[in-house]
Amino acid sequence: MRTYILQRFLQMIIVMVVVMLVSFIIVELPPGDFLTTLREQLTDQNVDPKVIDSTVEMYRARYGLGENWFIRFGKWAWSLMKGDMGYSMQHNRPASELMGERLSLTIWISIATLIFMFVVSVPIGMLSAIKQYSAWDHSFTFLALLGVSVPSFITALVFLLLSVTLLGATTVAGLFSPEYVTAEWSWAKFVDMLKHVWIILFIVGLGDTASTIRVMRARMLDTLGEPYIDTARMKGLSGAKIYFRHALRVAINPIISSIGLRFPQIISGSTIVAIVLTLPLIGPLLLEALLGEDVYLACSILVVLTLALVIGNFLADLALAWLDPRIRFES
Amino acid sequence: MNTAPDSDKVLEIRDLQISFSSIAGTTRAVNGVSLDVRSGEIVGLVGESGCGKSVTIRSIVGLVPSPPALFEAGEIWLRTRRGMTETLSLHKNMKALRQIRGRDVSMIFQEPMRSVHPMMTIGKQITEGILEHEVVDPAEAYERTVEMLDLVGLPNPAAQMNRYAHELSGGMRQRALIALALVCHPQLLLADEPTTALDVTIQAQILELIRDLRERMSMSVLLITHNMGVVANLADRISVMYLGKIMETGTVEEIFKEPAHPYTQGLLASMPSLFSQPKTHLQSLRGVVPELAMVPKGCVFADRCPYVMPKCDETPPVVELRADHSAACWLYADGGETQGSEVAETAMPALSDEGARADPLQPVDVAPLSSSEPTSEGALGRPSENDVAQLQIENVALHYPILRGLLRRQVGTVRAVDGVDLTIRRGETLGLVGESGCGKTSVGRLVARLVEPTAGRIRFGADGGLEEITHISQKEMKRVRRAMGMVFQDPLSSLNARMNIRNIVGEPLMLHQVARGRAVDDRVGELLEMVGLRAAHQSRFPHAFSGGQRQRIAIARALATEPSFLVADEPVSALDVSVQAQILNLLLTLQQRLNLSMLFIAHDIAVVRHVSDRIAVMYLGKIVELGEAREICVRPVHPYTEALLASIPLPMPGLETLREMPKGDLPDPANPPTGCRFHTRCPYSQPICEEEEPPLRHIAGDADHFGACHFQDELYLEGVEEIGEIQGSAAAKAGGK
Repeated sequence: MRTYILQRFLQMIIVMVVVMLVSFIIVELPPGDFLTTLREQLTDQNVDPKVIDSTVEMYRARYGLGENWFIRFGKWAWSLMKGDMGYSMQHNRPASELMGERLSLTIWISIATLIFMFVVSVPIGMLSAIKQYSAWDHSFTFLALLGVSVPSFITALVFLLLSVTLLGATTVAGLFSPEYVTAEWSWAKFVDMLKHVWIILFIVGLGDTASTIRVMRARMLDTLGEPYIDTARMKGLSGAKIYFRHALRVAINPIISSIGLRFPQIISGSTIVAIVLTLPLIGPLLLEALLGEDVYLACSILVVLTLALVIGNFLADLALAWLDPRIRFES
Repeated sequence: MNTAPDSDKVLEIRDLQISFSSIAGTTRAVNGVSLDVRSGEIVGLVGESGCGKSVTIRSIVGLVPSPPALFEAGEIWLRTRRGMTETLSLHKNMKALRQIRGRDVSMIFQEPMRSVHPMMTIGKQITEGILEHEVVDPAEAYERTVEMLDLVGLPNPAAQMNRYAHELSGGMRQRALIALALVCHPQLLLADEPTTALDVTIQAQILELIRDLRERMSMSVLLITHNMGVVANLADRISVMYLGKIMETGTVEEIFKEPAHPYTQGLLASMPSLFSQPKTHLQSLRGVVPELAMVPKGCVFADRCPYVMPKCDETPPVVELRADHSAACWLYADGGETQGSEVAETAMPALSDEGARADPLQPVDVAPLSSSEPTSEGALGRPSENDVAQLQIENVALHYPILRGLLRRQVGTVRAVDGVDLTIRRGETLGLVGESGCGKTSVGRLVARLVEPTAGRIRFGADGGLEEITHISQKEMKRVRRAMGMVFQDPLSSLNARMNIRNIVGEPLMLHQVARGRAVDDRVGELLEMVGLRAAHQSRFPHAFSGGQRQRIAIARALATEPSFLVADEPVSALDVSVQAQILNLLLTLQQRLNLSMLFIAHDIAVVRHVSDRIAVMYLGKIVELGEAREICVRPVHPYTEALLASIPLPMPGLETLREMPKGDLPDPANPPTGCRFHTRCPYSQPICEEEEPPLRHIAGDADHFGACHFQDELYLEGVEEIGEIQGSAAAKAGGK
């Protein structure tokens, strides 16, 4: 077990290093010098030449510009680790400042979406398998197919339309009511967010929830056909014990291991929805940065998202090992 | 009608009828089955796959989902702690059923590998059963579970409590499942092919355990199997089932000594036993078990029966031949028993025939039932000494590295094949026998160069002298492969489902440019007819054929380029008994007609003995004994060979071949025991066996017989004697009791 965790942990580090290297190469790719661009920008803004010189000199030192590529990489990576995300040329602000709240909101919404997906899809999928070909199964098969096939931005638009036309709402878009958007975090603001967030969870999570229902149903059906379920039945166990104690833990395995894969899907899925609903998430910022060739910002976002993804995967691996003795045994 | 049966019966099934509805219509899987099990009795329910055995016993405990099943008629009476209970009417009453399951009746299943929950400890799974039925505190349940694990012979039972399924071997899992089934002391154990998935030596251990537990726990057993040998040694009474009907019921002695129903006779004759005349045709039942929708009217066996008569269009009555022996056959109706016994005397297979018993060494002269196969008489040529070698392998090894840890370091080696020497002469069949994991399949794959040997030399004579093929390129190998055919175990997965038969069988012809265009069609037609299929079926796909027919297709493909050498890797082990006999007959016929040399790989030493000239016995990557086929079976010199022979359940009731069984499981091939690899399981093990590895060497006074045992010239081991001797010794044993 300890080797297994260590193994997964080292894999995580390796993935992070590779992603940072790739990001670094992207940062280095654009022709011209970042400092030249910076100097031009600052000059355009009529900043005091002395301040320009000192700012440029500070960046030169911090990123080791003009030195060997591996020293530059080292300095860049080190400053990243310290939380310095670099400088957004588009916004003329440090990247970390721009990302700040958006990043944490994105991560929280992703986690909430994952939980929403689990809580909704696992019981529905399980019951669909237990009551195969029943009215329940047929209706959720239909709904799940609908959920898989309708793109999330369409759902988002439909929601917008419905809430505006039917409910006369004016504040469906966004994560907060207008009066809270710029307000400091407070209990009232949190409650206001909860009012808005469920729609987002629903829209972002719909596709994944629908497909997970199908996966869960199929897995449960497979598991219920296994001989060890017959063994459990022949012990005289009740249906609930067979389904929850014996079948569920086997059937849920691939869904847990897919958490890591769901994560990027949710982030990219939420990007589209965030654009439609004008949500302060990280996705739109990344898109903007990519379009505007704002390399430091884009790379920082990529690195941070990768970090979240890799940690998510690591946690999923740990959960699997805790659940399945065969995985513990392998290592 | 609903009267409870006598109190000495644990189970009585009366006229059970079960149908299955599907889009294609309704088919009746169980059609009027009546069966009873008395206190303390072991009853065997025998028949080929698809005959409704499993459905019958699963319906006793409500394990047949309905729909699609439809229980149309019948009663199932089971003795429970509340008295006789009709369980069929309880199917909708889950609560009542649950109280019966595990407490009054338990069940063990065919696949021990998959019947233990993979994510729960053994202990938890068993105590769960106790806690479900009895009000006991967990500590007591734990104690009882440990006791039970001890009773079923698991070593170190307390340690097993915390182990998971994947940490146990197949045999140990089946033991654990038996413990799980019996922990609440049920009166009846239902066993659904409990040993089919296990190796022969493990099978023998499990059968012994069931027999032993029956006494100790005073329970009854209803055992399903397709293997007549298993019931002969275990059951008190037998019911033979075919297509949803009981064909014959009787005590084990009656069924084996005087089988009345032609189906029973056919099943018995189909089994290659350790007494059958080697290299002769087995008397196989013609045809295959038909689809349920195609069942003949009247007697369901009519279309395969050698004694079929006009009357068989009507449903035959169940005729009481004697107390405790009945058969559903027209042969015994009307005119009474005279007609029946007449038929029985003239047509019964050798094993049960009085004449054959009197003169046992007379070759069994059986005309094959299938017209597509020529008769067995004539030149059953055996290769003579000075025949040239077709294949010679010297000191061949196949090692796989075990990679572990972060850096995939090599932490060990699996020695699948570890220094094997073999020679196969032209026209000879060499049988390679051993348990699963012993490396026999690897030898076959090495010979065909499907895997690269780690060491050693392989020489093959495609046409003319031997040439070295150990390391030649795959391009050169293509030329050699033209002279080499291969038949695999699973006839379904070894045929490409997307290719039709013409392309499957014709591919080697095109590949080796033997034929092209129309000539391929003609040649494929010839080949299909040679293996007993119709040439017109070329355009069909594999799924349109039955298991036996698919194996015929695989054989046709292997022989397409007229090879002189055939590797047959477990070609019959996935097939039903009657089909197995047909395929063995076909292989024997083709071998003689085409003068093939053959490497015949199988786990069943009776099958191997039947087709081989010489036998090599393999254990953990090494040959431990090599010699003439019959000689090896009669006078084995290696204790492992003796164990293999003793493990084969003989289709002769009352005959104990079991001497001392090999202990435990096959050791880990990555970490074989030091010295003689068999010493951990050998009943004759001496200190020297742990230290020194015995080489394969001549037996004193026999130039053709090799053994790898330190004591091969001193030990007296028991083989399976020829028919005459065995009858004598059986009589002696019976007299001695």
